Amino acid sequence: MAESDDPKRVPRRDVLGVAVGGSAAAFVLAVVYPVARFVEPPIGPLGGPVVVGRLEEFPVGGAKMVSVNDRPVLVLRSQEGELRAFSALCTHLQCIVAYSAERRQIECPCHRGVYSLDGRNIDGPPPRPLDELAVTVSEGSVIVSSAR
Amino acid sequence: MSTPEERPPGWLADRVGWGGIKARLSAHRAPRRSFFFYLGGITLFLLVIQVLSGILLVLYYRPDPAHAYESVEQIIGEIPYGNLIHAVHAWTSDLFVACLLAHMFTVVVRRSFRAPHELSWLSGLIALVLGLGLAFTGAILPWTEAAYTHARVGSQLAGQFPLFGAWLRRFLRGGDEVTLGTLGHAYGFHVAALPACLTLLVAVHIFLLFRRPVIRPDTSKQETIPLYPEFVVRLAAAQTGVLVVIMTLAIFSQRALGPAADPTQPTPAGAAPPWYMLPVHAIVRDAPTELLGIDGARFLVGVACVIAVLVAALPFVDRQGSKITAWFAWTALLALLLLAVHALN
Repeated sequence: MAESDDPKRVPRRDVLGVAVGGSAAAFVLAVVYPVARFVEPPIGPLGGPVVVGRLEEFPVGGAKMVSVNDRPVLVLRSQEGELRAFSALCTHLQCIVAYSAERRQIECPCHRGVYSLDGRNIDGPPPRPLDELAVTVSEGSVIVSSAR
Repeated sequence: MSTPEERPPGWLADRVGWGGIKARLSAHRAPRRSFFFYLGGITLFLLVIQVLSGILLVLYYRPDPAHAYESVEQIIGEIPYGNLIHAVHAWTSDLFVACLLAHMFTVVVRRSFRAPHELSWLSGLIALVLGLGLAFTGAILPWTEAAYTHARVGSQLAGQFPLFGAWLRRFLRGGDEVTLGTLGHAYGFHVAALPACLTLLVAVHIFLLFRRPVIRPDTSKQETIPLYPEFVVRLAAAQTGVLVVIMTLAIFSQRALGPAADPTQPTPAGAAPPWYMLPVHAIVRDAPTELLGIDGARFLVGVACVIAVLVAALPFVDRQGSKITAWFAWTALLALLLLAVHALN
């Protein structure tokens, strides 16, 4: 009986088609996967505590911008001398916020977001308060711990 | 005296088979009176200028945060004609985006997306996305204050995309933060990956245009001209005009670089994105913090995604090319212009 006359037999052409298609798919995957993994940025190391300056560099009743593990951080010092550190990235679209001594508030210049000095979002588009970071003073040095 | 037809072909014409190419080009036709038909050719011309001026800038540009700004300053201030090349690249970038958008708009208004042009429409849309990607990555490279804000806000906005937003943000930034990796990624995509993909896509777009011409076969010959030489000559004249405009802008209207990026300084007051992002700037600035219980920015990006899918599906949704689609396009244009003006206030 001829091969093509048996309805239960899978034609050789179909088997070859599946084999070639499968090999092609495997080849594409073998190329695409390493490339995709390569262009995806690696996860950076977790940032530890960072010394951001001497206590006297932070004005009483004022603010200073520092960098903690590549992130801008706003360190505020109250009239009573208490230090608080906030991520300076606006919680709306991550513009860098600014301290306004005149209006005694924190402002985002990009989209007119406003935060109180305790980091609460009080006006404009920011959806939540600024992220607060732990700040300590050790032997006159101000140390901020990254929240990441 | 022999006519051009009787003259034997020159050496080069003979080797490349110019006679056959000319005959095939002459068989295609273009509208006799339609400025819109030239927009695609002008956009392609702008892309060529971008590639050529970009190749020159790459010779001196250094893609790391410590030297990027300095190297652009050097190009503008010290390298002979660097000022001109930089200005040509910057102005052409703006015109390129403007022409891409205008080209897409005219295709919608003239309903040229209808069958059998679905693939031309889709390849054009992907080219638009790649073109905007080129503009986005290019705006990061000078590493100025504005470039830094642009990278930060742009990637954060991309981070609001549904499903793959977080991945996209990390990808655009080259890491979690806007740092060295951001500039490296932006540079790689701006000078290699995006131009390569765009060139391939433009080739596909043109191939499809030749296989499925926009001019219908039943259009009378009175309303059309041969693609070669009439249309090609007219297009070359239009491109020369565009070149004159670019050179005039580059010579008489310099592009100020602005201060260098400083991640420890607040974003300057009144910071605004590039002109083509002004409508988006107005919307994200003035939209409510929450919409239908979803974060405002996330909701808006979600809506933008739905609109983008509808626009991509246009030839399959509006098969006949309804006049309502054209009316929508005009309304959308008006709304975007009003939003752009509002963004500046």
